[in-house]
Amino acid sequence: MAKLVVAAGVPHPPRLVFEMQQTPGKLRGEALMKQVREQIEKAEPDVIIEVDSDHFVNFFYNNLPSFCIGMAEEAQGPQEEWCPMPRYTVRGHVPLAKALFQYGVHDKFDLAAAHELRLDHSLTVPLHFLNPEMRLPVVPIYTNGFASPLPLATRCVALGRMVRRFIDAWEGKERVALIASGCFAMDVGGPLRGWIDTEWAETIAKLFARGQYQTLARRATEDRINAAGNNSGELLNWITVAGAVGKTKPLFLEPDEGNGYAVWKFE
Amino acid sequence: MSVYQVNKLLYLTDNDPTFRRRMKEEPEAAIKDFKLSVEERDALTSGAVGKLYQMGVHTFLLNHLYRYELFGVNRDNYLSRIREGMPYDRRFELGNMPVQRFIKK
Repeated sequence: MAKLVVAAGVPHPPRLVFEMQQTPGKLRGEALMKQVREQIEKAEPDVIIEVDSDHFVNFFYNNLPSFCIGMAEEAQGPQEEWCPMPRYTVRGHVPLAKALFQYGVHDKFDLAAAHELRLDHSLTVPLHFLNPEMRLPVVPIYTNGFASPLPLATRCVALGRMVRRFIDAWEGKERVALIASGCFAMDVGGPLRGWIDTEWAETIAKLFARGQYQTLARRATEDRINAAGNNSGELLNWITVAGAVGKTKPLFLEPDEGNGYAVWKFE
Repeated sequence: MSVYQVNKLLYLTDNDPTFRRRMKEEPEAAIKDFKLSVEERDALTSGAVGKLYQMGVHTFLLNHLYRYELFGVNRDNYLSRIREGMPYDRRFELGNMPVQRFIKK
């Protein structure tokens, strides 16, 4: 049987990669990424399932699913020319992705599936830190955290629960790491760029730390998310992971200027 | 409204290298194939980010105007332009743009 051995949540600012190379050891985010990586390494996973929202790189309005499983054998990224970080080839895990897709559909989740992927910075920045040399295969689960209407946060909890049931039921022997990519509250080029909704970010951090994931999901309406800046829908990736961790509280959760870094352990 | 077409040409600017080159070299010609209203075309070619924002162009895609320095939009004027037509908000005082950091090829 497969097993969820560790879960984590981290943000994905490309700036972090760049500034670390320029002035190593200075940024708090660098130390926090290292803390998360050490916990993931200790758990000795064989595969990563990464819950992420695209930024109009893999998806566009011509076809934009609420939830989609990445089924590619491998994919390259980040694709954005402006993104100041190394380019990677990331291996997928097709049998696991296919089985998750089928399990989800039979569990009444009308998932989409993508057999070709163009990876953006939001998928690759966490992997740059947490999956050195892209050693582990990665199955992306995309949530639409960026183009209205967003999926309901309560639905994301249910999605996470389904993913957990799938992992527990799957015949493979894999030890699974589940990673959420995204911020809590941020504006990245909307009119409120630079402002952080600290009240909302602090509420999120508090509810995660206490394990009150249902309460958080009920409060994370699209109106509340949008009021916190144009990038704040990425919280749905965290909430999806929270659905999978069940009653487990995080080993640690460190807030950092609208972002958070967290790890959950299961052994 | 054909705001989809504005979103699409900005999406292609970021994701299609050939189209991106055309947008940099001959932007007026590059957008001719898109079915834009006069209002949308004028807002785009004059770099009126605020008008495009009010029309409903997605902010993630509007960002490409300053990232690729199209139609006179750049990192220094982007924030003031996107706020044009909005009532003053005290949170604007906290605004700043990150420094552009390309990896040199």
